[in-house]
Amino acid sequence: MIRLQNIEKVYRTDTIETLALNSVSLDIAKGEFLSIMGPSGCGKSTLLNIMGLLDAPSKGEIRIDDQKTGGMNDKQLAQFRNKKLGFIFQSYHLINDLQVLDNVELPLLYRDTTAKQRRELAAEALEKVGLANRLKHFPTQLSGGQRQRVAIARAIVGRPEIILADEPTGNLDSAMGNEIMEILLSLNRNDGTTIVMVTHDENMAHKTHRLVRLFDGAQVQ
Amino acid sequence: MFKHLFKLIWNKKKQNFLLITEMLVSFLVLFAVFTLLMFYYNNYKKPMGFDYQDVWVINYNNSYQTKNVDSLDLYYETLRKTIKSLPQVKEITFVSGNIPFSSRTNQSGLTFKGKHIDHLNNFTVEDYYKNVMNVTLLEGRWFNKQDVVSKNQSIIIDSDLKEATFGNEPAVGKLLGNDDDKNKFKVVGVIQTIKRNGDYLKAGPGMYFRTDTGSFRWLDKILVKVTPGADAAFEGKLYKTMANYMKNANVEIEHLANKRTDANYFALVPMIILAIVSTFLVINVALGLFGVLWYNINKRRSEIGLRRAIGATGGSVSAQLVSESMILATLALIVGTFFAIQFPLLNVFDLPAIVYIEGILLSVLFVYLLVLVCSLYPGKQAAAIYPAVALHEE
Ligand SMILES: Nc1ncnc2c1ncn2[C@@H]1O[C@H](COP(=O)(O)OP(=O)(O)OP(=O)(O)O)[C@@H](O)[C@H]1O
Ligand SMILES: [Mg+2]
Repeated sequence: MIRLQNIEKVYRTDTIETLALNSVSLDIAKGEFLSIMGPSGCGKSTLLNIMGLLDAPSKGEIRIDDQKTGGMNDKQLAQFRNKKLGFIFQSYHLINDLQVLDNVELPLLYRDTTAKQRRELAAEALEKVGLANRLKHFPTQLSGGQRQRVAIARAIVGRPEIILADEPTGNLDSAMGNEIMEILLSLNRNDGTTIVMVTHDENMAHKTHRLVRLFDGAQVQ
Repeated sequence: MFKHLFKLIWNKKKQNFLLITEMLVSFLVLFAVFTLLMFYYNNYKKPMGFDYQDVWVINYNNSYQTKNVDSLDLYYETLRKTIKSLPQVKEITFVSGNIPFSSRTNQSGLTFKGKHIDHLNNFTVEDYYKNVMNVTLLEGRWFNKQDVVSKNQSIIIDSDLKEATFGNEPAVGKLLGNDDDKNKFKVVGVIQTIKRNGDYLKAGPGMYFRTDTGSFRWLDKILVKVTPGADAAFEGKLYKTMANYMKNANVEIEHLANKRTDANYFALVPMIILAIVSTFLVINVALGLFGVLWYNINKRRSEIGLRRAIGATGGSVSAQLVSESMILATLALIVGTFFAIQFPLLNVFDLPAIVYIEGILLSVLFVYLLVLVCSLYPGKQAAAIYPAVALHEE
């Protein structure tokens, strides 16, 4: 499903060069639930961003669904992200000025859909994460766990084949973290969604199919 | 997408209120400027209606007093002959004091067919006036000897008065006067309104009466059409002729061309001041708008990053931000137009409605342009934000 080959990422600022990823190669199968662990600053987010086509690697190649992504232009990349990928972030990244339902509808706005379809799909996604009764709330009126569930609903509303989650439980206590983990596991189990998750929590990581450890930008296991 | 943007704007009404107010204020100021500008321009476009070149004004204080009308007429007719005999003089005419570009007015009102006409200028002129001033006859004829015996006193009206009273229909031969007056005037001619207040200000409406025996008693100006070469030496000679004839009178000679320049200057000064003030205001508003939009975009980096992550192209992000500003501008302009439209509806300043409409249209256009220009660059910057970078910062 996702194939990374010799990915290298160098961040250049005026004075320093940081090698965030050093020749990472990874094959992720369709339907796999993979977790990535490693100390802070080792390049986990960088790797996930590159997989999510949010950032281009300095070297190496990414294939998703057997499609080369290197030569894609801005529009193609945007469409690809919109159709194939769903993102979940540690800090939710909800738009506070939009109601829950409107937040979840967002990815569909960048597709050819009618308002009615968007409404239905978003309500359905919220139902899946157990927030059917919070459609008209604003994000600031929700708890952290609820916010992350909204973010998950937003990630799955477009029925992507891949979900990329960067520390989805990082801001949550363990009870809420487990709730989120359960949702992800069921998405993987029931819908066959491929999931790549960055986490600092060994317990969470062990619930997934495979664990990849990074250290200083390189894969150690 | 529009509905989405409306929601976003609505849910942020508190922040947007300030921005809308700023746009509203700039609209209202621009509306004032453009309305005045259009008023001036519309007046400027109209023909002058007469020649001011080589027309001189002789001001004198009427010192010759006699009860006898015949000797009064003789006194002034002799003066006319004396001046006219000067080689540089083409034509001369005695005239009432409210000559072009002077601050003197002689106005009345008229209620004709139920319609009230205010600030109606009354001019007393001689048959020679037409050739001195070279007024443009649009219909009918100028005064002549026939007009003495008319049952209804003959008058000539200007195009503004004609439009206000007879509209598009011919006026010559028609009677004009207050609805309750028995003795109405008979219109014998229509002339192009003369721009007596200079190039930029409203002039009409006006009506012209022919001089009568005894009129000399209160006429105190002479208009002289001179040959193009007439110079200061001639002016001195003319002055001496006048002074010799009217022993104790104060005589003063002016040129209509100079008086026009002065009149225009006085009309333009407030316009120029207003233009300078509004230019500074617009620059201020533009910078403010730019700053606020710029600030908003930086505050919304995480939102921008998110939108990019879930499928927005750089172009659509920048289009969204520009559209948001344009929607805000539209809201401000709807409110502003509601206020502005009251001016023609309530006829606040006695300006033609079209001037206000033009003012509104121009300021709407200007505000849109201003907002577009101010949001294009921040919008473009937003499009250039790397999604990964924007998401990285909380
Ligand atoms: N935009 C950037 N510019 C320069 N350096 C960067 C940038 N983003 C990341 N880095 C550097 O790349 C390295 C990897 O960063 P990354 O965010 O991937 O770490 P991480 O493993 O996700 O850490 P954490 O667990 O704290 O989230 C770090 O050294 C970081 O300083
Ligand atoms: Mg990270």
